[in-house]
Amino acid sequence: MRAKFATVIMLVLAAVILAAAAPIMPSGEGKSTSPAASDRSAQDDTLRLQGEKRFRANCGRCHTAPPKFAPRMTATIVRHMRVRATLTDEDMHLIIRYMSQ
Amino acid sequence: MLSFGRWSKNGAHAWIFAIFMLFPIVALSQEESANEPVKTVPILSGATGYFTRVTGGQFQNTPSVSPVLLLPVGDKWLLEAKGNYSVTYAKGDEGYYESTSAYNLIYGQVDYLANRYVTIVGGRFTTPFGVYGERLAPPWIKDLQLTPLIYSVPSGSSLGGMLRGGFPAGSQKVDFNYAVYFSTANTNHLLATDRSTGGRIGFFFPERRLEIGASFQQVLQLDRPHSAGLHFVWQPYVVPLTVRSEFVRQSGTKGSGYWIESAYRLSQVPYLRRLEPAARIQQFFADPKLTSTQIKKLGAFGRDTNQADFGLNYYLRYDLRASASYGRQFILNRDSNLWVVGLTYRFLVPLGPTGLKGSTQ
Repeated sequence: MRAKFATVIMLVLAAVILAAAAPIMPSGEGKSTSPAASDRSAQDDTLRLQGEKRFRANCGRCHTAPPKFAPRMTATIVRHMRVRATLTDEDMHLIIRYMSQ
Repeated sequence: MLSFGRWSKNGAHAWIFAIFMLFPIVALSQEESANEPVKTVPILSGATGYFTRVTGGQFQNTPSVSPVLLLPVGDKWLLEAKGNYSVTYAKGDEGYYESTSAYNLIYGQVDYLANRYVTIVGGRFTTPFGVYGERLAPPWIKDLQLTPLIYSVPSGSSLGGMLRGGFPAGSQKVDFNYAVYFSTANTNHLLATDRSTGGRIGFFFPERRLEIGASFQQVLQLDRPHSAGLHFVWQPYVVPLTVRSEFVRQSGTKGSGYWIESAYRLSQVPYLRRLEPAARIQQFFADPKLTSTQIKKLGAFGRDTNQADFGLNYYLRYDLRASASYGRQFILNRDSNLWVVGLTYRFLVPLGPTGLKGSTQ
């Protein structure tokens, strides 16, 4: 009985994860227009500064500030920290951007 | 009552089969999410350490390892698990050193980032009560290796579901964070959890690096005690100082208490910038209604205790730290010295391409 229960639970879990693994279109794709190069550069600088600010505010609350990691590692680590340290969605994206540059 | 300990062999096979089934799904998701702006990679992280403790004249040597596995799936999911394995060498009754090994699953959970306000968590997770258990307990993070006395007053682990999140509360000057959960009872001796419910709320002021919050837990079994707690964290920008504190009060037999801890990184002092002194004071108040039988059964939690600790951490690298501390525990007729010295190393290994040529970090 418990074996059947475990199998059903795991199959449901696998189905949910499979559904989540489907490609997801970024919400803004196809709608945004490319800004001028200078505007984009200024915007990048602003976002980088914001990211550094959020990094300093959040990451040092519990541990010493880590070095920058490779982009994919940063994305995984910050997602983990979003859950564990209840980072805001905005903080998560800004910190990923800052640490990936 | 759920009891994993009584699961049949077929049940265990079903779990193992299902877990193996998940790996190709995870790998597939990495490929399918190739168009995302930010790609992820599974990571094996964690910490290993070796500590010598002298508690009231009794030596203990304890090597340990706590691996953390992070498996991101798509851009919304994260599977994470943390285990712990340690061996304690201590003198037995006959004067020879004997070893005792211990292992457990600290958490094994599935996280779904539903939207910017809510993350849904299922599985075995650290109970969201205060900040110590979720954020400060790993040995490579905590400033003093001895765990605060009140840490085990609320239930430390839960098995069930949790909603949590953090978002700006009306302005960029304050973030609100919360966690609410329900846990079922589990009687397996390695994965024991209480049937309980509760949660935590917090306010974080990023411009001041100040965090305050409150927690609540209601146990829904046996004598149904409830716990209430407060926490406080402050890190001013102008000096490398950290001040943390937690308070908890329980209606049951596990007592109440508080701790206040401070650490100061000497980053402004030449030759000492890798050094961090830390200190903590704490008081634990045993339940005054305890009978002598209960006091004997509860051990350290059966008597009022005051404790003061002072320690030094030296960061050889950002991921390698040497620590030493001295503490004095004051219990009626049982004062004792608490010495700890050891080393922690935090590791981080990508389990796939990192998106950076010629580097693993």
